[in-house]
Amino acid sequence: MNIYDTIIIGAGHNGLVAAAYLAKQGKKVLVLERRDIVGGQVVTESFGDGFTVDSLHAGGTLRPDIIKDLNLASFGLVVDSVRKPFISLQPDSNHLVLDANPAKAVESIKRFSEKDAANWIPFLNFMDKVTRFIHAANETIMPRLPKGFNFSEGVDLAKMGINLRMMGGADMMKIIRGIPMTADEFVDEWFESDVVKAAIASLGIHGFTLGVFGAGTGYTLMHNWANRGGLSNVSAQGGVGKITEALASAVKSFSGEIRTGAEVKRILVDTFTCKGVVLTNGEEISAKNIISAADPKHTFLNLVGAVNLPPELVWNVQSIKMRGSVAKVHLLVDNIDAVVAGATHASPLPATFVIAPSIKYLEQAYDAAKYHSISEKPYLEVTTSGNVVSVHFQFAAYKLKDGDWKTEGAKVEKVAIETLAEYFPNLKSSIVNTKTITPLDMEQTYGLTEGDLNHGQIMLDQFMFMRPIPGWSNHKTPIDNLYLCGSGVHGGGGISGASGWNVVKVLK
Amino acid sequence: MTQNNYDAIIIGGGHNGLVAAAYLAKAGRKVVVLERRHMVGGATITEEIIPGFKFTEFSYVVSLLRPEIIRDLKLPQHGLKILPLPSTFTPTGTGDYIAGWDDHDTTRREIYRHSPKDAEAYDEYSRRMARLAKAIKPILSILPPDPTSLHPKDLMGLMKLGQFASTLTEKELYGLAKIMTQSAADMLEEWFETPALLGTKSASGIIGTFLGPRSPSTAYVLLHHYMGEIDGAFRAWGFAKGGTGGIAEAIASSARAFGSEIRLNATVKQVIVKGGRAVGVALENGDEIYAKAVLSSADPFVTFLKLVEQKYLPEDLIHAIKKFRTRGSSGKVNIALSELPNFTALPGENILHNGAVSISPSIDYIERAYDDAKYGRFAKEPYIDMIFPSKIDPDMAPPGKHVMSCFVQYAPYDIEGGWDDAKREAFGETVISTIEKHAPNIRRAIIGKQVITPVDIERIAGITGGNIFHGELLLHQLFFMRPATKWSGFRTPIDGYYLAGSGAHPGGGIMGSPGKFAAELALKDGI
Repeated sequence: MNIYDTIIIGAGHNGLVAAAYLAKQGKKVLVLERRDIVGGQVVTESFGDGFTVDSLHAGGTLRPDIIKDLNLASFGLVVDSVRKPFISLQPDSNHLVLDANPAKAVESIKRFSEKDAANWIPFLNFMDKVTRFIHAANETIMPRLPKGFNFSEGVDLAKMGINLRMMGGADMMKIIRGIPMTADEFVDEWFESDVVKAAIASLGIHGFTLGVFGAGTGYTLMHNWANRGGLSNVSAQGGVGKITEALASAVKSFSGEIRTGAEVKRILVDTFTCKGVVLTNGEEISAKNIISAADPKHTFLNLVGAVNLPPELVWNVQSIKMRGSVAKVHLLVDNIDAVVAGATHASPLPATFVIAPSIKYLEQAYDAAKYHSISEKPYLEVTTSGNVVSVHFQFAAYKLKDGDWKTEGAKVEKVAIETLAEYFPNLKSSIVNTKTITPLDMEQTYGLTEGDLNHGQIMLDQFMFMRPIPGWSNHKTPIDNLYLCGSGVHGGGGISGASGWNVVKVLK
Repeated sequence: MTQNNYDAIIIGGGHNGLVAAAYLAKAGRKVVVLERRHMVGGATITEEIIPGFKFTEFSYVVSLLRPEIIRDLKLPQHGLKILPLPSTFTPTGTGDYIAGWDDHDTTRREIYRHSPKDAEAYDEYSRRMARLAKAIKPILSILPPDPTSLHPKDLMGLMKLGQFASTLTEKELYGLAKIMTQSAADMLEEWFETPALLGTKSASGIIGTFLGPRSPSTAYVLLHHYMGEIDGAFRAWGFAKGGTGGIAEAIASSARAFGSEIRLNATVKQVIVKGGRAVGVALENGDEIYAKAVLSSADPFVTFLKLVEQKYLPEDLIHAIKKFRTRGSSGKVNIALSELPNFTALPGENILHNGAVSISPSIDYIERAYDDAKYGRFAKEPYIDMIFPSKIDPDMAPPGKHVMSCFVQYAPYDIEGGWDDAKREAFGETVISTIEKHAPNIRRAIIGKQVITPVDIERIAGITGGNIFHGELLLHQLFFMRPATKWSGFRTPIDGYYLAGSGAHPGGGIMGSPGKFAAELALKDGI
């Protein structure tokens, strides 16, 4: 006798979105979270007195339609309406300031290229179309090939196709061509200044283990732009943790249950049908459906187990490229104003700073990941919140050739601080506390296999109907009643919540 | 001087230009081929650069030449003879070697020596690749439709494509989708673990591209080479009797036999356009030749931006061609030898000299070579693919002596500071010292050498950027996007003007398809 209709493994944003929608439909839902707090990657945590930070993601928010559907505003979610300026710091202090106000951005771009300045607004208009397309694509459940032409799935696909076609042939073609391009080629279609190109191209590698010369970073650029709604993130007031807190409140308000400190050890499978789960403390819980918001590798290989799966699928899952190469360095300073006042650039906070001075610099930073090491000259994206400076550091390969992550975190921290100190000379003396999160921490603490924030790289052979693996892009699995809803499925990657939302449509 | 008696003018006497001419002449049209140089062949030539030694200067092996072209043009009767290249020999750099053969079982035994696991994987890998290559091959013969167009012609094309897709199994479809998008390294590492095997196999994924084996989408280039076929037999690479020049001469001979005229030392300066229609060409020497149609087998950059006035072309096409990636990445070093290189991994003259020798000890070795190139340097330790034409065809060198053809990657066209004689010399030296590590006798065996950089390829063969494929085989430069969206169909915005070179679908290699497609379209258009 099942007490629960659905058990959801993992209380990250996607797991909670799925739980909230199902609970709202009146389903009896149980969310099981390994950690003592909900949120998964989308958490705001305290690492000491006055040292509260967004651990892994310094911003971003759910799709507006999800926020509206679940009425998250009533659960305390307030999303900033202001988009921070995106500032590309240059060694010669001639910084590029891409303000959310297009006119201001154009002024700044003019210092690098008149032609690029003239192209800025047409580019923004094009990216608006890209965003519309990607949102449409992300809410479409990717059918299996070639069996996907049954009526219900066909309608969604057709809608996506119509959406794309409505943009007009020329823009549609531009988007299609942009997908396999490199980020470098993508920006080169519009701009000539290396500074302008690099600042925008950095979005193509943000969170991914690819260089700007890698095919498919044209797509990841569009993907990140669409998820952010622009160059820099909009943020939830009080930190990204407020997003998952609001979701958890919503789940509870719909009578859903959330248990923290409850780690699933196995999914109970009997001849390709799942019956329930067993926790690490031995407790067994049964339910009609199980949805895993964990990454596909962990779900299939650890929770289900290879013996319960067809060999071909095991091989495909083993081949999923999980390649974390992001580290986070959080710095608590005693006086943020003094740090900013001493900077080589005049910019009022808040702002998003990037160290992406040239296309070559970005590619060189990536070379380190290719050979399993840590960039000496990293690509950084930096935000501040109160007295905390948060650094998104690339690249720091999960699999290190020399040394291991028990000790190398110190190196990442040092490189990050030294790199930033060139632009913020007062920084070093102002640091009072640090917290570095390595790719290994991401795996061990946050449950991300190989520290991959996206639950599997978003590469051309791992996106849309190839995500997470060929044949299983529709949230279903070869195990009856077992579904996937994490970032590893199409719609995922980023904080949009689309894959958590889509699984609910599949369950219907 | 004005003449007005041709049906078609073909610009460029490379293999595609000659194929186009032969097909048009075969259909009874009056055709003239205009070749800039003193010989036909373009990048498909053999030249006696050092007395007695014949160099296959640029392209050196053949695998993709379409069997229907060989048949239609009766090329064997015109002297085409493909000799097999039976093996690939890769020194591991650690004193051993790994060899691949044109026989599956022999290769399997050799792989087993290095890794039983790889040997086992090799069986299934070969089966899958053969299936995929067979599955994708029909695409080479489909004229790419424009997916954004609502024109009946394109909708029909899309339907045909859909029909083709529906003949594939689910596994094949996914396999195809994956191989079109993956990196060669990611694909191969799913199967194998032996570094030299991985290195050698991944090398097929980077030939002619400005990408490393870890760059996504290089698996397709690997498959493109895997599709190699001679006379319908899968996966056979060959060497043409007389070098690749033998192929061009056979096609030229066929074209002439069908009645085509071929003029050498005839450089086209401009295509003459009247009333929106190409009506002829003006030569450098002032001659004007008129015809009903003009087919350019030059690369897209030359075809669209140099040979015609831009006022005849839409803005977006000009933009697209300017952005078309034609970055040359490879060079050639052709060497006359007094004796064959003596490889420390397998001393003495042996049967492996009949095949290719590949300096590709690991994926990372090639990837690092790419890293040099992407920052504007030639590779310090390059990937080299060597063959010894004189071992296969004794006529290529004086008795007892040998010629050696080394394809080298990477050598970027846009090298820092530009190419000059000193850099060319240094590049040649790098290649020789790289070979020397594996065959110490090489240096004293050298009688003479020819070093070809991408800039030389551009200068001699007239290919923009020195890219051997007239434009890289990147995903966004394939199929309905090659060379530009809306203009992937060999026709151009100028009536009667066609693109017939490797810059059109399905791309480069000694395939001949673009020339054939363009000729057939021109005939269909009623010339």
